[in-house]
Amino acid sequence: MGNDLKLKKISDYLWEIPKSGKMQVPARIYATRHMLPKILSDNAPQQAANVAHLPGIVNYSMAMPDIHWGYGFPIGGVAAFDLDRGVISPGGVGYDINCGVRLMASKLTRDQIAPRMQNLVAHLFDSVPTGVGASGKLHVKNKDLQRVVAGGAKWAVSNGYGSESDLEYIEENGRIDGFEPDFVSEKAYKRGQKQLGTLGSGNHFLEVGYVAEIYDEQAASALGLFPDQVTVIIHCGSRGFGYQVCDDFLALMDAAIKKYGIELPDRQLACAPVQSNEAQRYLGAMRCAINYAFANRQIIAHNTKLAFEAALRQGSEKIGLRTVYEVAHNIAKIEMHEVNGKKTKLCVHRKGATRAFAPGHTEVPQAYRHIGQPVLIPGDMGRYSYVLVGTETAMQETFGSTCHGAGRAMSRNKAKKVAHGRDVRQELEEQGIYVRGASRRTIDEEIPEAYKDVSEVVDTCANAGISRKVAQLRPLGCIKG
Amino acid sequence: MYIAQVVVRYRLQIQAIKVSLPIVRQIDHTGDIGLVVTAHTLQQLFEHAARAMFEVIGELGNVQTQQRVELSVEADDLESLFVRWLSELNFRHITDELMFCQFHILSIADGQLHAEIQGEPIDANRHTIYTEVKAITYHHLRVEKVSEGWQAQFIFDM
Repeated sequence: MGNDLKLKKISDYLWEIPKSGKMQVPARIYATRHMLPKILSDNAPQQAANVAHLPGIVNYSMAMPDIHWGYGFPIGGVAAFDLDRGVISPGGVGYDINCGVRLMASKLTRDQIAPRMQNLVAHLFDSVPTGVGASGKLHVKNKDLQRVVAGGAKWAVSNGYGSESDLEYIEENGRIDGFEPDFVSEKAYKRGQKQLGTLGSGNHFLEVGYVAEIYDEQAASALGLFPDQVTVIIHCGSRGFGYQVCDDFLALMDAAIKKYGIELPDRQLACAPVQSNEAQRYLGAMRCAINYAFANRQIIAHNTKLAFEAALRQGSEKIGLRTVYEVAHNIAKIEMHEVNGKKTKLCVHRKGATRAFAPGHTEVPQAYRHIGQPVLIPGDMGRYSYVLVGTETAMQETFGSTCHGAGRAMSRNKAKKVAHGRDVRQELEEQGIYVRGASRRTIDEEIPEAYKDVSEVVDTCANAGISRKVAQLRPLGCIKG
Repeated sequence: MYIAQVVVRYRLQIQAIKVSLPIVRQIDHTGDIGLVVTAHTLQQLFEHAARAMFEVIGELGNVQTQQRVELSVEADDLESLFVRWLSELNFRHITDELMFCQFHILSIADGQLHAEIQGEPIDANRHTIYTEVKAITYHHLRVEKVSEGWQAQFIFDM
């Protein structure tokens, strides 16, 4: 399907699928010419064009360079909708609502922990439950879960997980308003009950790494990053709670499209007008899941600190593990953006895309306001991850958005075949990277070559001007769900 | 379209089949896993799809039929009923921490399904769980009558 699409070159880093048929706007893909054959080999560009059919979509249906085939919306998709004429679509957020990334930095250097990595990874594996239906040590009752979804990371801090100072460095300060706990199903509460503080499976992970390269001294210094510094990346989301919210509302929206007479090229794009009762209920429930994910990562970050202290037998002051920033990359938010020279409130969907607000934006923490909002782009477990910052170009072109990761190059099935007969864990260990996974199969499915080279994705965003490179991080150890 | 149809991966234990069918095929989706299940009857289709989903979730060789659960789901159309059936099984698996290995559809008609399923509580020492199915998606979903009987194509979000 993707091969039938005609692409028009806008620049070396931007391509357009012109408006045709019932598309409301054109679709635009950020990519280099080199990346295009791979991108066009699957259904993702067609999905970007499908999103352009949705009512009230503003400017373009956009896709970041890590675009790949999703459900309804492509992964790497950004779409903003007019609040009066537009829609909200659970498929534009995804099942893992507020899946995101936290970056932590320490006072330690690589040489101080390299010899102790095996022990550290073992402690992390014990402290941060991973894997399938992994049950955390924290079991909350339904009543308390309502407090969690109302309080987000703030609830976690007030219950002893981390400190108040973390909150300033989380998107939305770790808690979004407009949540409606009553719009969340009993099933979602039940799925969320035993999963707080857990990573989950799939591509979720916790990685210990170090600052390998700095591209922007001023920005790195503002973020407190220095060469060889030990860092931690936490990648996870709202667990079963969010998956169930998405599932529940996809069914509701499926009925809504008939009710509101919305024509869709794919059932998974089910949506409802932003002002409708269905959309408002989804927004209220989705925000509960957003807060669940903020609480989840806050608890994991706290348990990570404890694991460091236990494994290294050092106090927290000496380790100095602190939150640099935390971003969401599966989310829909009401934001103010300039459209045709006019400030307009929009419903921005980012599905596998990261907010990348420019320097000076009031939602960027005061300490980082002169450099722009930090953006955290995890790569695969063998290569590298990146720290970027948002730019004015992103504000003008992409509603302040950029990429979110490497994007898979192989299916899980193919990755398992490629890993067959190899000891992936041993191979990584020989490169100085210690990996623990819930099962061997988990590690095999996530082999480094199953992912695209994240540096190509990041460079494309930097060259297109929608973010700026600050630093590269390389892995020392990882736990996988 | 990039759906590489891959070799037969699972052979289910089915006693009542007269003709050998390619019962379950795995389809490649860049991020996730999809299956194409073929069966003689609609009832079998739902049963085989359930078993196939649990084959993706974990190793079923060791799972015993200690516990019996009855459940009902309903939906407006057949495709939604199919998604709800698998979603309900996944929900019970996750929240009650059970692994299921046997699935028996007691009745399926007019958008209503009643079933009896069997399995046992997950025991980390005996059971291998490979992965978690986040959801059963509507993406490229098909449940239809084919010349061999019935066929369903469905993709999991992993």
